[in-house]
Amino acid sequence: MTFTRHALTLLLATSALALSAASEEKPLPKDLPPYGADRPIPPLNIIQRTLPNGLTVWIVNRPGFPKIASYLAVRGGNAYDPADRQGLTGLMAGLLNEGTATRTSKQIAEELQAIGGELNAFASPDAVFVHGACLGNGLPTLINLLADVTRHPSFPEQEVELAKANTLQGLLAQEAQPAFKANRAFQAALFGPHPYRFASITPDVVKAATPQALRALHASRFQPKQALLVISGDVQEAATLKVITAAFGDWNATGEAPKPLAEAPASSAHQFLLIPRPGSVQSTLRVGRPAVSATHPDYIPMQLANVILGGSFGSRIVKNIREDKGYTYSPGARAAGLQAGGSYMVRADVRTDVTAASLMEIFYEMDRMGTTTVGEAELQSAKRYMGGTYLFQNQMLRALTGTLATYWVNGQKPEALSEFIPKVNAVKAEEVRRIGRTYFAAKDQTIVVVGDEGKAKAELEQFGPVQVQKN
Amino acid sequence: MRLRSLTAFTLGAALVAGPAAPAQRPSWRLPIEVKTLPNGLTIVVSEDHSLPTVGVSVVYRVGMRLEPKGRTGFAHLFEHMMFQGTPVAPKGVFDRVIQGGGGLNNGSTRYDFTNYIESAPVSALEPILWLEADRLKALDFSPQNLKNQQEVVKEEIRVNVKNQPYGTFWLDLPAAAYSRWENNHDGYGSFEDLDHADLKDVQTFHSTYYAPSNAVLGIAGDVKPAEVFALVEKYFGGIPGKPKPALPDLKEPLNTTEFRQVKTDALARVPAVAVGWKMPARGSRDHAPAAVLSELLIGGDASRIYLGLVKGKELLLNASGGLNFPLGGAWDYDGQTLFSLFSLYKPNADADKVLAAIDEIIAAVASQGITPAELERTKTKMLADFYSDLEIPLSRADALAKAQALWGSAAQLNEIPKLIEGVTVEDLKRVAATYLTRPNRTVIDYHTAAAKP
Repeated sequence: MTFTRHALTLLLATSALALSAASEEKPLPKDLPPYGADRPIPPLNIIQRTLPNGLTVWIVNRPGFPKIASYLAVRGGNAYDPADRQGLTGLMAGLLNEGTATRTSKQIAEELQAIGGELNAFASPDAVFVHGACLGNGLPTLINLLADVTRHPSFPEQEVELAKANTLQGLLAQEAQPAFKANRAFQAALFGPHPYRFASITPDVVKAATPQALRALHASRFQPKQALLVISGDVQEAATLKVITAAFGDWNATGEAPKPLAEAPASSAHQFLLIPRPGSVQSTLRVGRPAVSATHPDYIPMQLANVILGGSFGSRIVKNIREDKGYTYSPGARAAGLQAGGSYMVRADVRTDVTAASLMEIFYEMDRMGTTTVGEAELQSAKRYMGGTYLFQNQMLRALTGTLATYWVNGQKPEALSEFIPKVNAVKAEEVRRIGRTYFAAKDQTIVVVGDEGKAKAELEQFGPVQVQKN
Repeated sequence: MRLRSLTAFTLGAALVAGPAAPAQRPSWRLPIEVKTLPNGLTIVVSEDHSLPTVGVSVVYRVGMRLEPKGRTGFAHLFEHMMFQGTPVAPKGVFDRVIQGGGGLNNGSTRYDFTNYIESAPVSALEPILWLEADRLKALDFSPQNLKNQQEVVKEEIRVNVKNQPYGTFWLDLPAAAYSRWENNHDGYGSFEDLDHADLKDVQTFHSTYYAPSNAVLGIAGDVKPAEVFALVEKYFGGIPGKPKPALPDLKEPLNTTEFRQVKTDALARVPAVAVGWKMPARGSRDHAPAAVLSELLIGGDASRIYLGLVKGKELLLNASGGLNFPLGGAWDYDGQTLFSLFSLYKPNADADKVLAAIDEIIAAVASQGITPAELERTKTKMLADFYSDLEIPLSRADALAKAQALWGSAAQLNEIPKLIEGVTVEDLKRVAATYLTRPNRTVIDYHTAAAKP
């Protein structure tokens, strides 16, 4: 058993943007008071253990709030499924709660309710996550239930049939959502045959699922050597470890480790894809391309560049197409990093008659990131914003616990938590420009539009050939 | 919900230990200090020094059903105008200063209030207070900004309502269930009314409703109450006091005839049903029982409607709903509200089957009550969720400001666990029998276009 203890400190940018130094922008009101001095952030202690069976355990003691959060992560998500069964992992995850060797789904739900608790399992491309929460005094019950659904799910015939029927009906319902259609087409266009193309299970895979197949999949993936358990909250290390050891210590499932995924594509075709949606009053836009993994050196600079380009309320795209032009309500952008690759995506829903005009502005802003250097005030502000939002998110137990679980899946240590902000602060303006040039150039982006075929097609044809995809 | 931007914050704590509660439920209380300035502004502060962050919420007592007649959607359009700059701090300054301070901000319009929220490292508190005071004093009433936000709001309505299947359900239910204009009009706004809004309306609205006496400022986090009171005095103290605008009468009796309607939704691919019942007023004897009943019926995977209709009879694909759903929770409304339910139903179901199964569940509670064990579990889950909603300074500031604005007492927030504890089986039986009746029910059945006769 290994034992290490780290004091993790979240740090903000050392000094706030000097309010009067924003030379490239209008001066600020003369009476506006300056920011105060930053206060130190108390260190976060994370205890790291490995049980003899190989289960990794991280415990975060954060007193002061009467609830506990947990995340169990198991390597191997939807991207690890064979091409003809992709999404089976997600279906399996959703059924963990629906019955075990000794409990019915109703018993599980009622035991959780009695501790003010919840347990939700889901699959990402890279892993299965089981999130739990409960009142502070429910920890032993939560851990026992978590161990039961993790180790002994039974995939009862009737529950599997119900989950299949509801998934099929749910898929039909989803087809009405423009975002669902847009994301599916976007993922497929970016990743081609790579399993990161996965956006949703298909009806055929649902129909073919059986309790036997789900049990076999569970048995092949769920092994202590491939799993992490994180517990956060007002918990005592020794007592918590005792409960965990009692519940998981004799978990001896073994098997092969999931085979690492091939590297995802690094680029995609510059093309305009139109997915017709009769009756749409808006065009749902996706502009993006494959990018980098969560551990790639460009990942953090790209997150920072994204804050400047489209990932925050004060970003260039939001200012341009919302606050200046009024084309859209909810434009946004994100850089998503997974284990074996990632993607960048700008999104907006715009009224149909400004489809081309909106894309023109998005292209302009994307190109500008690579053709000019961001000013110091805008850069500092973006760094500050990233630090603040990171602190904001991780003050919530669930988010903190989930952040740590995701780090583990990506092969990172909990220290990544304290390294994040210093890495953001070290990014130079030139590096942001290089990110812009390398990843944001309009000529390298794939464009997906879901909308009214007649009107949106004419809008898009101003840029060149449009491929209409009925999906 | 009706947010300025789609990036909704997850609202969710150091609390101090309070007196012991029954049934082994941990008892927690927020420290609360309240002060009212001579101009009428009330400030609520809750300190917690576990992290150097602060949450701020300014709650104005105007909302979708308190807006003036003939101007549908104006309270919400106005919320957008609050981000369009002031004579002193032009458009862009607000976001720039808060973002540059490491903070987030947003606003939302609900039935009974409009709130403006910020979360940031505590070093940004003073500029944030300055900015909030500045936009309470005056706005940049420019035609360009108004035109811009009229377009943005219309895009918001397109993305959330017009381009979404069942996007109108939360507007359809009150429209059909209530008789007073205040309660039943479209609070998101008709495009016609939004287009007709002019600068004079914006000015009048600001001077009427954005008065210190009509506002509560909630602040939680790494602060000392005395220091906060001094800062607020410094920035808000000089704003002239104005009379608190009168609240319209919202009261309506329960309905005596069931309302049912079939709507064809051109975008939907599967049918859905929305059901609403008129419920007791905030703070009334039946309020807390109604909240517990809502949890019992539709609070999650152990709730009766989930176990009975999603599981059990397998009629529904999902079950969402609750007291004051979906624009708020069980404790943040005033006057009366609806208990609403929205579910997609399956090919083997129709609205009659769904309603019959729900009636059966309600009748069982009304006539037989529930076991003590189920009541205890239900209360425990409610309490756990109540605490989760107070986890971070931002959500504490907001909950405290809302309690002060709607209940007239921020301290009331600490009493909600007691209200929950006090609910008995007899209360649940009475409230189920009184409110969840067929005559008091409004039902909208959403059919897909293919199912159109």
